[in-house]
Formats: sequence, structure tokens, C-alpha cells
Amino acid sequence: MFTESVLVFIALNGIFAYSFYAVLVAGQLSLGQAGFAGIAAFVAATLAPTPTDWGPIPTLIVAIVIGMVVGSLAAVILGLPTMRLRGVFLAIATLGFAEGIRIFILNQSWTGGAQGMSVPKIVGPEIAWVLLIVVAYWFWRQGRSRYGRALEAIREDELAARSIGIDVGRHRLTAFVSAGAIAGLYGVLWAYFMRIIAPEDFSFSTAIDGLVTAVVGGSTNFFGPILGSGFQTMLPEIQRAVGIEAGWLRPFISGLLLLIVILYLPGGIASLVPRRKQKIDVAALGLAEASGESVAMREHPAKGEVVVQLNALAKEYGGVHAVQGVDLTVRSGDVVGLIGPNGAGKTTLVNMISGLIPPSSGSATVLGVEVGRTPVHKIAAAGVTRTFQHSKLFNRLSALENVLIGTHLVAKPTFLRRLLWLPSARRDEQAALAQAARCLDRVGLLEKANVEAKGLSYGDQRRLEIARALAADPSLLILDEPAAGMNHVEAEELSALIRSLANDGLTIIFIEHNVGMVLGTCDHIAVLNFGQLLASGTPAEIEADERVIEAYLGAVQEAEAETSAPVVADASDDPNQGRA
Amino acid sequence: MKMKLRAAAVVSASALLLAGCSGTGDGGDSGGGTGGLVGTGTGASCVIESPVKIGAALSLTGGAGSYGASQQQGLELALEELNAADGIEYKLSIEDDASEPRQGISVMETFAGDGTSIVLGPTLSNTAVAAMPIANEASMPVMGISTTAGGITDIGEFVFRDSLTEAQVIPQTIDAVIDEYDLKKVVVMYSNDDAFTESGYEVMAETLEGTNVEVLDTLTFSKADTDFRSLLTAAKDKNPDAIVVSALIEAAIPLVTQARELGIEQPIVGGNGFNNPKLMADAGDAAEGVVVGAAWNSASDNAENQAFLTAYEAKFGAQPDQFAAQAYAALYLIDSAVRSDCSAERADLRESIGSLKDVATPLGAVSINADRDAEHPAVVQIVKDGKFAVLR
Amino acid sequence: MQQLLNGLFIGSIYALFAIGFTLVFGILDRLNLAHPAVFAASAFVGIGLAEAFELSIWVILVLVFLFGAVLGLVIERVAFRPLKNRPDAHFAGLIASIAMAGMIVAVLQAFFGPQTRRFPEGTAPEGKVEILGASATYVQLAIVVICIGLVIALNVLVQRSSLGRSMRAVAENPTAARVLGINVDRVTAMTFSISSALGAVAGVLFALNVNSAQLGMGTAIELKGLAVIIVGGMGSLPGALVGGLILGIAEVFAIQYIGSSWRDFIAFALLFVILLLMPQGIFGKRKVREV
Repeated sequence: MFTESVLVFIALNGIFAYSFYAVLVAGQLSLGQAGFAGIAAFVAATLAPTPTDWGPIPTLIVAIVIGMVVGSLAAVILGLPTMRLRGVFLAIATLGFAEGIRIFILNQSWTGGAQGMSVPKIVGPEIAWVLLIVVAYWFWRQGRSRYGRALEAIREDELAARSIGIDVGRHRLTAFVSAGAIAGLYGVLWAYFMRIIAPEDFSFSTAIDGLVTAVVGGSTNFFGPILGSGFQTMLPEIQRAVGIEAGWLRPFISGLLLLIVILYLPGGIASLVPRRKQKIDVAALGLAEASGESVAMREHPAKGEVVVQLNALAKEYGGVHAVQGVDLTVRSGDVVGLIGPNGAGKTTLVNMISGLIPPSSGSATVLGVEVGRTPVHKIAAAGVTRTFQHSKLFNRLSALENVLIGTHLVAKPTFLRRLLWLPSARRDEQAALAQAARCLDRVGLLEKANVEAKGLSYGDQRRLEIARALAADPSLLILDEPAAGMNHVEAEELSALIRSLANDGLTIIFIEHNVGMVLGTCDHIAVLNFGQLLASGTPAEIEADERVIEAYLGAVQEAEAETSAPVVADASDDPNQGRA
Repeated sequence: MKMKLRAAAVVSASALLLAGCSGTGDGGDSGGGTGGLVGTGTGASCVIESPVKIGAALSLTGGAGSYGASQQQGLELALEELNAADGIEYKLSIEDDASEPRQGISVMETFAGDGTSIVLGPTLSNTAVAAMPIANEASMPVMGISTTAGGITDIGEFVFRDSLTEAQVIPQTIDAVIDEYDLKKVVVMYSNDDAFTESGYEVMAETLEGTNVEVLDTLTFSKADTDFRSLLTAAKDKNPDAIVVSALIEAAIPLVTQARELGIEQPIVGGNGFNNPKLMADAGDAAEGVVVGAAWNSASDNAENQAFLTAYEAKFGAQPDQFAAQAYAALYLIDSAVRSDCSAERADLRESIGSLKDVATPLGAVSINADRDAEHPAVVQIVKDGKFAVLR
Repeated sequence: MQQLLNGLFIGSIYALFAIGFTLVFGILDRLNLAHPAVFAASAFVGIGLAEAFELSIWVILVLVFLFGAVLGLVIERVAFRPLKNRPDAHFAGLIASIAMAGMIVAVLQAFFGPQTRRFPEGTAPEGKVEILGASATYVQLAIVVICIGLVIALNVLVQRSSLGRSMRAVAENPTAARVLGINVDRVTAMTFSISSALGAVAGVLFALNVNSAQLGMGTAIELKGLAVIIVGGMGSLPGALVGGLILGIAEVFAIQYIGSSWRDFIAFALLFVILLLMPQGIFGKRKVREV
């Protein structure tokens, strides 16, 4: 049953599945890998020397280098225009590209058309498995690196990832290019094992096979693609060995088993292997602090410096003025409350400040950055992080992992050093872990560090989101209704937390319906009504302002009733849906 | 349970890595072990003690599933007949390569390792090119029974085939139709994503170049296509004297039907892919006048062919196609090679197949030439009154 | 003119196939890759019915429509519903539907064998008409009429009926729809059912039109179907119709003016350009969904 070719195919299919895994971990569905593999195989087989000139191994090495470069280039060419596509759109665009490559290869004379191209056989089980292990090692080391976590964050919630400073476009493209390189590797190995390559080896069904292998194996564990490949490759072999008659029954059984795996093993076959959760060790945290290892902290503006400057800021959606003519100045160390009835434009305003949506007119400068054309992650890098009206946590990750991703901006990249097992990478990981633990501790969630985010209570989720935003060591923290759904005790604790953060020099803008809490917490309050700034001043001034009482306080009951039952998602949270 | 089994299998795969390599390398002479495949007597009186294992790697599922099914029937019929004779018992093991080179390789390795004397197939040329070298390295004879692309038998000394190459069939066909219909200008159509049809096209193009027939246009399609109306309209606009087509039967039938439907009354000329009784059965009147150059003359009145047609229809209730005929003939060729020096050892079989001469089969008298390719008369047929008739 | 007609007919087939695809995608945000298998299965079942009972083509179409509807229910129940609450329901549903497709084709092979099949002669009225010097068979004309008729009927269903209103609500926001008291599971099942029924009709008409039905016939048209729903706009019914026709005509013109070997390239080039310039397609609503 384990003949030479079966061993090679397990390795080859595994490598191909890794090229899908590479993008699945970032939540991307690409079907272009067959095309990358195809063009890489044909170019490499054409350009590489013959084994008689150079010997088999040097030939293969040259071919692999060519193949991986070609695969990566193809991925860059495809990736640059398509990285803004999502989900099925991306899948179909990449599929179209791959089919285009196949037809191109078919129509060229140097590729031998449908009859294909002969290639010397060099690859055997040893080479195939060594390379599979190298690829698997790569993804093993990627998993717990800053880069790997950023990809996970993008998979779980792209908007949240952006808002904590992850350059989503660049990360997605990087993942895509690594998929291209690995697909190129697969193409070359396939060519140098099969002796012949034909365009039909790299067709739509090849891509589907690769995707199925990766998903069956599971993308939550780096070992998944190997398991998936073992399963998919051995299926026909075992059926043959068991003596199931050749014919329709075999594909039927294969389909049935595939269905069973998908239905009953949600994380793929890899979910049978227990996943080791990253546990936090409080003792180690103390150690890290003692030895002075900590993440690079940023320079914060001195107290009283202007942090946010809004001039006649306005946002219009198809004739509806969500925000108009807002002038506001926020100074470092201030706690600014933003209140107003539902639909007053509060969330739209903070979305503009944090760069999620561009203003229609007017200008906004935040920490020296002109908002509007600057991408969200750059604004986050300038020192603005936030929470969302409806928590945008990375639900399938633990509380600690959530906050660890939050350290993205202040932690150092560790992936390449992790590949080489450099001790400095370990130190930097420890530092990031320590920072994350400190932030968890600050919001009182340290004991729940290893709980999955979606398993936390509502109040804990809100606090976890604050911890995640704090992990980036921001200068300006924006909280969108942080106390919504909290009871009085929790709200008071939150109020105390906000004050203590402000005492540490942090500037905070927060939206809240709980007027009592706002009055008791803030240095400064801005009141919005119908998109306009109704009033602005100290709590005492606002409390005494007749317009505010007239326009706003009457609506409090109503607003609170609505926020306690968040039935239909408020589209204003998500700039993409905002224009739907 | 099954899933865990597989997961365990994968984990143990790496452990078996070294064992696996050393295990497959020398499967060449593991045949009957102690020479049990060498018998006594010759020819009809040859008696071999152990059963002779014959493998077949056919595409029973996937894209080429219908060809594999025909081949399987042809083999089963021949097996039944040959095993009725005394002296040698053949054990035929038919495996599915799922129309994929990957599976073809695995199947071939399994046969190479289990003492099979000779393997028939794989069905498709691309799979054959990938899988046959394994047989050759294991010194196990392998015989192509449907692969017509060039270069197959160049793989090695153990590679034979009984299916005529396109180069042995097409030139004769082209010459015949040029003569018959006084052709001046033609349109060529072929599916360009299939090794078989593309190599057929190459021979067509080359042959046409050697004549003074003008090729007005060359149109390509995909082997999966079934709607040819726009291509045929383009062809019709050129007003050719004939349309020369390299396609498989799946494409041939709709192509012929739609051509007639669009009012193309000129002759349509096809190759081996067209040589199938389904052409008349399914295209009906539209098939009339289609010229088919092929390796097997289904209307031939030689005794073997008539016996084959009768037995096939009796057993399967349908008319055989060329795939079935070539598969059937292959088993007879092997039988006559085995009997010629009364041995089914791989090395002996290679010798004896190589020296086969004028073996009577439904394909006619088949000889194996120095290139290990079959030689037998090809035929140019025309569809007349719902039947293939010899054009010349 | 003949070429224009050819393009129109091919395009109608693409459209008919794509409508079912796009319906499930537009309303449920799922890609059902078992759709091509339904397409093939219905053609074979239709042929089986025609051979066994010598039914008229209209009866066959109705029976196959029902067959498709039932198959759609089965696909939804087996491959999609168990996965609906999973965070990776998109990937998982995709793979589960691929598995279903493999099983359906295997069962077809068990019943009908791997050979190419055809409708017996005389199933559909034969003959052709001349339109401005170009010819078209009755079957082809019927395809265009049925295709347009189904798009209109479906549009009316989605826009006017209560089921249609529920469908649109589910498309907009399944959670909200559930809160509003809509039986989301039922709407989902109905959507799959209608989608597969349309795919089934497409399969029979396709087999009639080209005088051929193969196990792999769905796969051959699958990619074109995907291209059509992108070009027309994901989830848009008129978009699928127009997208199909555009693709059909573009292919015909590629054959005529560029070269037949680049014909399939046109489909993907078109797809690519559309995705880059207007990712929402020609008729698609401006809506970005996360998968």
C-alpha cells in the first residue's frame, strides 16, 4: 500500500495543500494555486539545466528556485489587483486567472500543448518528504509569530485587525505570495516526479483537490495539510487494498467519507489532535518585568497638547447629513464624553476620527495625521486604537491571544527569527506576552486569559476589547459605548478604569448613553444632535445647558431601551455596509 | 474509526518511508518466485502450472470512464474465451486509474510489485507516459491498448502497444478522401486540450501540407465541448470541400449532428476517435457520409472479427467499439506470445511479444515491429445506411 | 447573423445554469458546487424517463423540475444545514457540496454507466426555422423562451410573493429575518429547491440541444456559470440572464475574430476585467460581504 508513489503523493499533495493553508489561515479563499503551480512547472522545466549537465540535485534546486520565483511573481501579479476582493469573489477571480494560465500554456508551442512536456524524473520519496517537512516547519514557526497572529486576526475580523494597526492589505498579499511560492514548489516537484507535465494537470479540479485536502486536514493546526493529504491520498489506495471493486463505488465512498469529515470534524482531521493552547504563566510575567524586557513603548504627547483637531467635519450619505460642521479640539490627557440621541452621528464621528470612513468635507487631524486619505492601520500606528459599538473580538481565540494580537504595533516581528530559533525572538515573544498580560490584568481579566473570547460574558467581552486596544499602548483611546449591557457595578468599575487610564496620561474619547456615568467620568463633554454639535463644555456646563436638556435628556429612556436589545446590527459600525 | 485509521496510516507513513523505497525497487523478478510461470510444451499444448497474472490499468471513472468501460468489456470477453482453452489459466486484475496520472502510477506500482506478468493500459496517453516508465524500470512488459500518441514505445524496451498510431492511420485516410472527393480546400477542427486528439491533428496537418489541398482555417475546441454551432458556422462561411476533424466520440456525435443541422453537407473526415458504432446509433442520419479512418475495420469479414462481434453482442447486448476491439485483441496477442515459448515470465514475455508475427485478431493480422508498435492494416470507412462500409 | 443566434443560444444555456447558482449565492451567500451535478443528474434522469416511458418532452421537463427540487432539498439538508452555525460555514459548505457532487455523479454512473447518453429520437419536436437567413431549431427557440420565462417568473416570485419577501429578508440579514419571525430554515430549503429545479431544467435542455449527456457535463459548464454570475452580478437574476448572453456572444465573436483557441480565454478575461472594474457586476447591488 505504501509504494514509492503513494509516499511521494502524500508529500506532494501535502505541499500543495499548504499553499491553500497559507491563505486559509488569513481567511482567504483562493483557487489560483493550480495556475501558479502550472506556470512554475512549465517555466522551471524549460529553463532548468538537464540532469546530465549538472547532476540531478543541482538541477532540481535550480528548478525549485525558478519555480518558486515564478509562482511568487504570478501571485504578486494576481494579488495586487485582487487583494481587495473577498471570499467567493476572490475565489472566482483567482480561479479565472488560473484557467487563463492553463489556456495560455495550452496555446503555446514551447509547452508542448495538450501533449505536454517531458521532464526527467528526479524526485523520490526522500526529497519529497524533506521538502514537505521544510514547508511544514515554516508554517509551524509562523503560527506563534507576530506575523502568524496578524493573519489569524485578519481571518477572524478584518476591521478589528485594521483598527489595531495591522496593515491588512500587505499581510494578505504576503500570505498570497507565500501561497504562490509553495504552489510553485509543488509544480516543480510534480514535474520532476511525473516525467510529463500537461496543462490538464493544473486544471480547476486540481485546485479543488488542493482546497479539499487543506480543509479536510484543517487550517487550525499547522499539521492539518499533512493529515488531509494522507487522508485524500490513501483513500483510493485503501479502497483498492480492501478489495472494493473498481468503478463507481470508489468515488462514492470517497465522497461520503469527505462529507462525514466535513460534517463531524469541524476543524478538519487536525482537530482530532488536541491543540495546545498558549497558557499564561504569571510567574514568567514577573520574571520578564524583572529582567527589564518589555515591548517598545511609544512617546506620548505631553499633557495639554492638541491630540484631535476637527474643523467643520461633515459626513453625508446619499443626501443624509450624518455629521455636519463639527469643530472640536481634544487635548492630551482629557477624557471626552460624546453623547447624543440615537442616530445623532456619534459613531460616524468616531469612525472618521479613527480613519474607518473618510469625511465628505472638512478636515480632521489626529495625532498629527490628516484623516481621510490615511489608511486605518496608519492612524492606529500614530497612536489611536478603539473599541466598537458591537464588540469585534477575535471570537475563536483566547482572551490572551486577543490581547497579544493587540500588541502588534509595539511588538517586534518575530517570524523570521523564530524560523532560526534565535533566542532574541523568544525574548521578544515573552515581552509581548508580558505586555498582553499587563493589559489583561489592568481590566481585571487575567484569570480568564485562557478562555475563548466568545465564551466570555458580555461585560468581560467589552473589557477584553479595551485590553486589546490598550495593548498597542495608544495615545488616544476611543471607546464606543463601552458600558452598554453592563450592570451598575461593572459600569462603575469601568468608570474607575477610565479615570485611572487618564491619570496615566492617556487621552480618551468615549460614546456613552449612560449620562450619569459620562457626567461622573469626563473632563469634557460634547453633545451631538442631528449630526451637529449642540454643545460642548465641562460636565457642569453641560448639565446646566438648557438646549441639551431639551433636546437630549428627553430621549434618554428611549435610547436606553434600544441599546439593551441590539437586534439589528447598526450599519454605522461598518463603513462598508454604511453605503449599502 | 476509518478516519482514525487513516490518520494513523499517515503518521506511520514517514516511518515506512525507507522501507517503502527499498521494497519497490526490485520487484522485477518477484513474479512467480520459483519459475512457476515457465511451462511445458509449446503453442496449443503449452501448460503452465501457476495462473498467469495480467493487470489492466483502465480509466473506469473520471473523464475517460466510457473508454475504460469498453476496454474492460473487451478484456473480459477475451479472458473468458482464452480461459476456456486448456493449459494456461489467466488471472486478470482490472484496476481503475480514475483518468488521472497520479492513480495510474500507483496502480502500475502495485502491479509491478505483485508478480503480474504484463499490464495492459493505461487508457490515456498522458497517464501512460507517466505510468509506463515504472513498468519499464521494473522490467515488466506493458502494452498500450488505446494510446495513439507518438513516443509511447520510446519509453523503453518493455513498452508495447497494439493500437496503431495516428501516423499509421491518418495519412492513408487523408489521401483516400482527397482522391475520392477531389478535395481542394478543407477546414480542420480539433480539440486542443487532449493529447490524443492533438497528436492526431498534428499528423493531419503534416499530411495535408504534403498535398496541394489548401487549409482554409484551423479551429480548436475543448474536449468537454458539446456545442459546436458557432465553430461550424465559422467553418461553413469558408465554404470548404470537406471538414477534417480530430476528436473523440463524445465530441464527434454532437459535432456531426450540428453540422448537418446547420446545413453543412460536405464530407466530414475523422480518425480513430470516430470509430464507434455509437456514431450511427446516436447521430442517426446525420452520420451518413462521414469518413472514418481507423485501426479497426468493424465491418471486416475475417473470421476472428466476426466471432468477436457475435460474442460481444451476445455477452453485452451492444456493439463493440474500437477500444473494446483493441483490448480484446491485446489479450489474444499476449496469449499467443505466452504460448509461443510457453512462459509468462516477464523477461521471456518481452522477447516473445517482440517477435509476434501475423497473429490473427479482429484487427487483422497483427505483427509487432522493431519499435514495439503493432502493424496491421488500417482502414478507411464511410458511414452508409447506418453502417460502416469500407471506402477503399 | 447565424453567429449572433449561436451566441444567443449558448448564452441562454449559460444563463439558465447560472440562475440557480446565483439564486443560492445571492440569497444565502453560499456557493453550491453540487449544482453542476444536479445539472448532469437531471439530464440522465430525463433520458431515463424518456427511454422508459416515451413521455413527451413537456412532461419530462415537469418531472425533472420536481426531481431537481427534491434533490435540492436533499443537498441543503445533508451538505449545508448541519453546517449553518459554524464560523467557517462558507468553506465547509463549499467542500460538503463538492463531496455531494462526487457522490451524485458516482450514483449516476452506477445507474447509467459511464457512456455518453442521448435523448431518444423524437423526444422533442424536430425541425428548424429560418430567421433572417440564419437557422434555429425548435429546441433552441424553446431554450430562449423558457430561459426568459423562468427569469421573469422567478423575478415575480422574489419581488411579489410572500416567499420572495422572506427570501429578500434572509438575503438582507438572516439574524434579523429570524427575529422578525421568518422561518429561515424553510426559506433556505426552498431557495435550494428552486435553484436545483432550475438547474435540472437547464440540464435537460442542454442535453437536448447538443444531443449529448455526459457525467462530466456539469463540470464543463461550471466555470462558465461562475463567470456568468460574476459578470452579471452575484445574486442578480436579470444579471445572470444578461451575463449569460454577454458571455455567449463574446465567445462567438472570439471564434469569429480572434481565434477559436482563445475562446475560453475570453470568458476568463471578461470575468477578470469585470471583477476589477466593477466587483459587484453589472446588475449587482453594492454590497460587500465577508466570507
